[in-house]
Amino acid sequence: MSPVLRLLMRRLGISLIVLIGVSMLIFAIARIIPGDPARIALGPNATPEQVTNLRAEMHLDEPLVLQYGYFLVDISRGDLGTSLYTNRPVTLDIAQFLPATLELVLVAGIIMVALGLPLGILAARHRGRWPDHLVRIFSLLTVSAPSFVWAVILMLLFAFYLPIFPIAGRISDIYEIERTTGFLLIDTLLAGNFTAFGDAFRHLILPAVALALSGIGQAARLTRANMVETYDKPYIEMAQAYGFFPSRIARIYAFKPSLIPSLTIIGLDFAAMLGNAFLVEAVFAWPGLSRYGVAVILRKDLNAIMGTVLIIALTFLIVNIIVDLLIAFLNPRIRHSTRAN
Amino acid sequence: MKRNSILAAALCAATALTSPAFAETVLRLDEVAVGELDPAKASDYADSILMFNVYDTLVLPQQGGPGHVPHLASGWTVEGSTYTFTLRNDVTFQSGNPLRAEDVVYSIERSQALGAGLSYLLTGVSAEAVDEHTVVFTLEQPYAPFVASLVRLPIVDKALVEANKGDDEWGETFLSANGAGTGAYTVRSHNPQEETVMAKNDGYFLGVADVAPDTVRLRYGLEAATVRTLIAQGEHDISSQWLPPEVMSALADDGAQLLSETGTGAFYLKMNTTKPPLDDVNCRLALSHAFDYGTAIQMVAITDEVSAGSAATGAIPVGMFGSNGPDMVQEQNLEKAAEYLAACAYDPADMNIEVSWIAEVPLEERFALLFQSNLSQLGIQSEIQKLPWALFAEQVSKPENTPHISQIFVNAVTGDPDTLLYGMYHSSTPGTWQSPEYLNDSQVDAFLDAGRTAATDEEREAAYSGLNARLMETAPTIYGFDRQSVFAASNRVKAPALSDPSQAFGLDGMGFSFRLMEMVAE
Repeated sequence: MSPVLRLLMRRLGISLIVLIGVSMLIFAIARIIPGDPARIALGPNATPEQVTNLRAEMHLDEPLVLQYGYFLVDISRGDLGTSLYTNRPVTLDIAQFLPATLELVLVAGIIMVALGLPLGILAARHRGRWPDHLVRIFSLLTVSAPSFVWAVILMLLFAFYLPIFPIAGRISDIYEIERTTGFLLIDTLLAGNFTAFGDAFRHLILPAVALALSGIGQAARLTRANMVETYDKPYIEMAQAYGFFPSRIARIYAFKPSLIPSLTIIGLDFAAMLGNAFLVEAVFAWPGLSRYGVAVILRKDLNAIMGTVLIIALTFLIVNIIVDLLIAFLNPRIRHSTRAN
Repeated sequence: MKRNSILAAALCAATALTSPAFAETVLRLDEVAVGELDPAKASDYADSILMFNVYDTLVLPQQGGPGHVPHLASGWTVEGSTYTFTLRNDVTFQSGNPLRAEDVVYSIERSQALGAGLSYLLTGVSAEAVDEHTVVFTLEQPYAPFVASLVRLPIVDKALVEANKGDDEWGETFLSANGAGTGAYTVRSHNPQEETVMAKNDGYFLGVADVAPDTVRLRYGLEAATVRTLIAQGEHDISSQWLPPEVMSALADDGAQLLSETGTGAFYLKMNTTKPPLDDVNCRLALSHAFDYGTAIQMVAITDEVSAGSAATGAIPVGMFGSNGPDMVQEQNLEKAAEYLAACAYDPADMNIEVSWIAEVPLEERFALLFQSNLSQLGIQSEIQKLPWALFAEQVSKPENTPHISQIFVNAVTGDPDTLLYGMYHSSTPGTWQSPEYLNDSQVDAFLDAGRTAATDEEREAAYSGLNARLMETAPTIYGFDRQSVFAASNRVKAPALSDPSQAFGLDGMGFSFRLMEMVAE
């Protein structure tokens, strides 16, 4: 078995254990949150009898272990139960809301990588000079303010004062696009409707930028720091002594080894955006899974909490595995190591 | 001749170019949280808006006045506890199925079986279809507000639900995503977290005016900043009532109109009558007189003319049976408060009053701070507790866990005082979110029972007047202000039921009957 394949198998095994651990933890925590889920679900006007009946229906009066058993049986059939928040199957909710968040996070991730890494390289190449100072100030600003603050600032600037971008939803009302994949950028292309594609893309810009800004700053700072360290290595000095072009030194000899630690953090940032997107989703009325996740936690919607957290945990684990594989690809020591870890 | 034809053609072309093309009118509004489309589960404001537009009820509240008028029914008779309703024979559901008495029976049985939403209003009621257009309701006990309760019984298309119910006995899955009513608007799409899109029902039995919006988009969970920007951009028409007063005020300054729905509810500071020192009536009266009612109303004022609250005149909101006249406005009176405090069995220096507010309603924190400052004027210490709704609902189930003061907005869900007051004050219903007072007063019980069983309006007026006086005497609650819902709206929409008191329904959410609205060019 190749080292990379062994690494993949090992990561998959660990991920499965993590997922089971997360499910047990969230199952217990969700039941510790104050408040009776049945009372919350039925609303303020429900009678005590109605609440009692729903509690019985949800097995809430039974021991926790037994409740977890019911959960495992259901999930083995692909049934996450019904959401008390939307009164629909949780799987249907996730299928509807997850693509919206994934699309947002993917675009934000692309923006983060496309801007964060070049800015880091720029700052490192010109360290101590004005491009470096500018990038560091920019990074500090973006890292220090949370994404929802950027969301409101961007909304004010580019929607209120300069009405350039739309600020609510994923696409304008005039377009009725069949949701094949749930990713509107893809669905509009599948429908051959390029105007709708442009509209969906315009709807994405402000929320994606707001979500990506702190990641851009972090990626730039990290790349700069790693590259500055690499620039002090003797082999870079030797490359400079040989008269290689600075851009070649930066791109091949300094950037590539510096990318490995950056990649780990970018991967984590990317996965964390899934959970952190809720405030941006709230500001831009983005019907995504993060917003749904927060809403169901506030309403103590047990089935939906479990479903949402498990999906986010699963995505987190998948991203981590991808990052590990990328690092293995970039780092020959891992790629060719017999221990693979 | 040829020249004339050319001229006529040119004129036609010019007219075509200069006349506005026929365009679909779209009304956009927002509400908090998700909209529940299943009428048997509807309970909050968004649900009510959906329910009143997709479904119809046998009766409607009289616009601009008390009482009810026939709607899907052509009339009704009452004999003791038996109500016989005759249905109109010209009503069809959106599916094309005709309305039959069995649909009414199915609707009430479905509501009772599911036991969700406001189904408790119809407990102890049985229904029978006597013939195709006659339905008889029999009540286990006399219940004067029964007709008022029928505004919360939307009639469902039995045949359509039965054909689509799948494995659900009562078609819950189908009705949580589809409409099955006779209403003026059909459901085009429903995403509970994003929006519900509704379209005009051309086959509506009362007809829908051309000027009513063709399409309605009810969006959910928009942030205040987003609504502010959308209305400024001309992409939104009516805000929810939950916008902060400052945002409403800013929108009004920008030219937005303010619509309002006069409430059948109020803002209350409920006192736990079982917990010292509030188990002493003098102490409760002291606190009632210490509250700064005037400032509380100013805190919800949007402009000089429009406010989300009006002065309370007693325990029953103005306009309901038993309410006091406008000359009996509640006012702060610190001298009287000091007198009552002196008569209280407890030493003010030893008091530490817990003032709770619901975390999901940030506005309430302001009232908590106001009351804290009022209490300090009497030399009483207090502590403010922020309680998430879920925790609050759990805490109030036991008197010892219930805070001294619980701040709550309550509405009469049918517009009748029984649905507002019985759950609050009858000794048989303690320990709910509505009744953290734990009041146990035989006179109050007697008045409430009399109001519930009285045969005539005069008797009900007398019962609730007595109740009002008794509640002011025993002071289980501080009656902060009578509430009214205010909405900021663009000038593209006219909503008479939300702007003209003579056309108001006096029932939460019914002012949003889109068929009565008018879209206009700005």
